[in-house]
Amino acid sequence: MPLTLSISLISFLVGIAVGLPLAFIRVYEKETSFLVDAYEKIFRGIPEIVLMLIFFFGLGPYFPFPFNNAFFVAVFVLGLRSGANQSQIYRGAIHGVGNEQMIAGMSIGFSKWKSIWHIMIPQVFTFSTPGLGSEYALLIKDSAYVYVIFALVEVMTRAVQIRTSPPYDAVTPFVLAALIYIALTFPIAFWLDKWGNKRKKKIGL
Amino acid sequence: MANFVMEARHVYKAYGSKKAKKAEKTGTCVDAKHIVEAVKDVSLQIRKGDIKLIFGPSGSGKSTFLRCLAMLDIPDRGEIYLGDECLTKPGVDLNKARARIGFVFQHIYLFRHLTALGNVELALRQVLKLPKEEARQRALDALTEVKVTDCANKYPAQMSGGQAQRVGIARALARNPDIILLDEPTSALDPELTGEVIDTLRDLAREGTTMLIVSHEMPFAREVAEEMIFYDEGTILETGPPSQFFNAPSTDRAKQFMNRIISRTTRE
Repeated sequence: MPLTLSISLISFLVGIAVGLPLAFIRVYEKETSFLVDAYEKIFRGIPEIVLMLIFFFGLGPYFPFPFNNAFFVAVFVLGLRSGANQSQIYRGAIHGVGNEQMIAGMSIGFSKWKSIWHIMIPQVFTFSTPGLGSEYALLIKDSAYVYVIFALVEVMTRAVQIRTSPPYDAVTPFVLAALIYIALTFPIAFWLDKWGNKRKKKIGL
Repeated sequence: MANFVMEARHVYKAYGSKKAKKAEKTGTCVDAKHIVEAVKDVSLQIRKGDIKLIFGPSGSGKSTFLRCLAMLDIPDRGEIYLGDECLTKPGVDLNKARARIGFVFQHIYLFRHLTALGNVELALRQVLKLPKEEARQRALDALTEVKVTDCANKYPAQMSGGQAQRVGIARALARNPDIILLDEPTSALDPELTGEVIDTLRDLAREGTTMLIVSHEMPFAREVAEEMIFYDEGTILETGPPSQFFNAPSTDRAKQFMNRIISRTTRE
């Protein structure tokens, strides 16, 4: 229970720190927004358990600090995934607040980033509360994955004890799985985006 | 040159699809329907203490021109001067320049998460970097000036349109800007509420505030404007004192427009 709460809370905060800047980049820095788009698609396309296993077993042996720590890996992955989700929530909220507020901010002598900080962000949070609520619920549920890592570590160490050679390759199957998931999720997200943009253009948005 | 508070020289601004803009840059032929020329080679000079009023049909580009003056829209061509400083040169600190220009919006655009006081205070604290007490005092003074002290702790959604617009004026005023640009400050308000905003503007005029106002409030124009500017299809068609427009405008377009507006006002 304390584990669930601490993992979900910390990754939620990481998600805010990641998601807010991403959302504003997406709306106001059109040239770099394709990078944000790629980030979001990757982190929402691959199941978090696959990502956790890749980081834990793939990077853990090379960077024992911090990736050999199941708690850290869970927070790391869930935080980044939540950042991708929250970025979408904030993006909708930014449009809800409206560009007029930005223009009003600039009219009093604020720079773009100052307007974002003093005027947009406080209002963006009020507009995104419903989405953030459901995002937090997701994190609570997904924090359970940390036990999967614990269990797998147990199993793997036993397995390694039993068969010493050849060294057991734990990562390749996970990476393959990740690629398959990307291949499954990308086309649909891609066509949805394309269709949405076409519709928006047609009705003059 | 230094005797102008603000000057526009041959300002040009067009809106259109990206394709049309690109074609125009490369000099290829553009289908006219893809591009709207909102400001076509407009020049204007404003001296300290001037009160000028721009009027003309809706959609003629008045608002775009005003936004260009404040550099809220960047002109495609031409120069904007604020005092001696050319704002259209690359590398100018536009944020600093905008801090010296007050802007009042047709649809008000108060910051919805802040009270009236917070709205006025924000720039004083964050742009002028005044200490807390001084910023508060100056914000209160500005609210007193536009007679909305009773709304100081109310949020924009709790105010009437007239109150909100007066807070909008206070927000523009509090920084002591070199000039205040007002984009149809009363046209989004009920007729009943326009009066209080007009009264505020009248007070400002009496104090010698430099103002450029887009408005169709003709009695007000006649009373306070030193110069009226008739703007149509992206250009200034006629400029002159109110008496000229109310008696005998020299262009036909202005004559027609004045007739229509005056007959409407008298009907009311």
